[in-house]
Amino acid sequence: MRKTLAMMALALSGLIGLTTGAVAQAQDIQAQRLYNQSLAATCANCHGTNGVSVPGVTVPMINHLPESAMYELLMAYKTGKRTGTIMHQLAKGYTDEQLKTIASVLGKKN
Amino acid sequence: MNRRHFLGQSAAVAGLAFGLNGQASASSLKSAQIVVVGAGYGGATAAKYLRMLSNNTAQVTLIEPNPEFISCPLSNLVVGGSQQLSALSVPYSGLAKNHGVKMVKDMVASIDRQKKTVQLASGQTVKYDKLVLSPGIGLMMDRIEGLEAANKAGVTLQAWKAGAETTALHKQIAEMRDGGVYALSIPLAPYRCPPGPYERVCQVASYLQKNKPKSKVLVFDANQDVTSKGKLFKEAWAKLYPGIIQYSPEHNVTAVDAKTRTIKFEVQEDVKADVLNILPPMRAGDLIVKAGLADANARWSNVNFLNFEAVAAKDIHIIGDSIQVAPAMPKSGHMANQHAKVTAAAIIAELSGFAVNPQPVLTNTCYSFVNATDVVHVASVHQYVPAEKTFKTVPGSGGLSPAPTALEGTYAWGWAKNIWADSLV
Repeated sequence: MRKTLAMMALALSGLIGLTTGAVAQAQDIQAQRLYNQSLAATCANCHGTNGVSVPGVTVPMINHLPESAMYELLMAYKTGKRTGTIMHQLAKGYTDEQLKTIASVLGKKN
Repeated sequence: MNRRHFLGQSAAVAGLAFGLNGQASASSLKSAQIVVVGAGYGGATAAKYLRMLSNNTAQVTLIEPNPEFISCPLSNLVVGGSQQLSALSVPYSGLAKNHGVKMVKDMVASIDRQKKTVQLASGQTVKYDKLVLSPGIGLMMDRIEGLEAANKAGVTLQAWKAGAETTALHKQIAEMRDGGVYALSIPLAPYRCPPGPYERVCQVASYLQKNKPKSKVLVFDANQDVTSKGKLFKEAWAKLYPGIIQYSPEHNVTAVDAKTRTIKFEVQEDVKADVLNILPPMRAGDLIVKAGLADANARWSNVNFLNFEAVAAKDIHIIGDSIQVAPAMPKSGHMANQHAKVTAAAIIAELSGFAVNPQPVLTNTCYSFVNATDVVHVASVHQYVPAEKTFKTVPGSGGLSPAPTALEGTYAWGWAKNIWADSLV
């Protein structure tokens, strides 16, 4: 009995180690997702929550853009290849990595 | 040792292990009472995003005395008569219906920081684990002699909190004789909405030009010069409204005489006007001052910019116009909405046992109408600088419109409709 218990304890402690590792990893992913969503939410004031505009408004639509096209467009504004009324000014305030994250959150999947 | 006992102990060990890396805190996100006070651009957004970013698990109560949201941005169009307040109003029902925010129509009378409760004007007490305060600005009426009484009597108006005074101000201008004088006084910065007074000048001038062309607009600015979009506004005034607007910088109002409709200044001669739109110096909302949280010049609240927690009080987060701003950070509705999102994410991170986002970003976009249709903007991006523990604008980013356009006028309305939906729907 004692031997069995000891083995069980060993197995369980291994399991706990494994689980806490997995939990920590899952948490990192959750935390990162939270940060990414809040970064992308900086765009929502003009382009709508989650990049979805109120129907009929004139601010250019973004939610039809695939992730890669959105990133390219943001970089074009940032580098000055493309000008606009306001986006070329705002894009310059973000790092390339932040623009990539924004495109990954708001860009159309598939 | 029986098996149940053994498993019980192991579960306790497992619980401890999970607790150390934060998993146990997931329950604290679900059980924490998060109370948001004030449903303007800051508070409404905070409530909505606390729900959205927690996958609707956080418990969020939003306390607001007004029956509906009325936007300050665009309300100068109502002063000028080209829009009605109803076009700038949004019901609060979306926050409850679409996001499960618990709405309480009441006013917070006081905060008990020890017991972690807020007392409502109705007498009810609400407990909080996390409190988000977004009460907007307080108007320092007592800084100008005679203003409190004059404003109560309706002789002077501020119309700086959109609502009944906004409509009343338009009515006074509409009822003014042709050849009359509209006077606007602007307090020293910082005040709510830096370009707002100068946009108001355009809207009133536009109305008078069409309806009472012999009238004048006198602007008395306590600041050294126009505080925002200066070149653009001065060009617009000269080009669109020649001979109507007289701009006087470094004019600090010290008193008003309601009987004779006279404005008195620190240095210059008295001025009489038909319509007196006096904007007093501003500070954090009354609730902040009463709670002893106005720790910057007894006017604004110092916050930790990673999570907008008050420096003076744990678990109380302050957003929007009430804070002591970072360099070049305007007190605007757009900025309040952005504060709210950083704060919502930080509260959820903390209650989930995550580290707070080390690199938050804020933007600001502000559109001003120079007439009923044409608009100029100012925009900025603010990145958190860890070494200085503050937000700073990114060199080379942001900027102004080159000139007013009707295209930006349509964008201004698009911005308004999207930010209202982003904050309230």
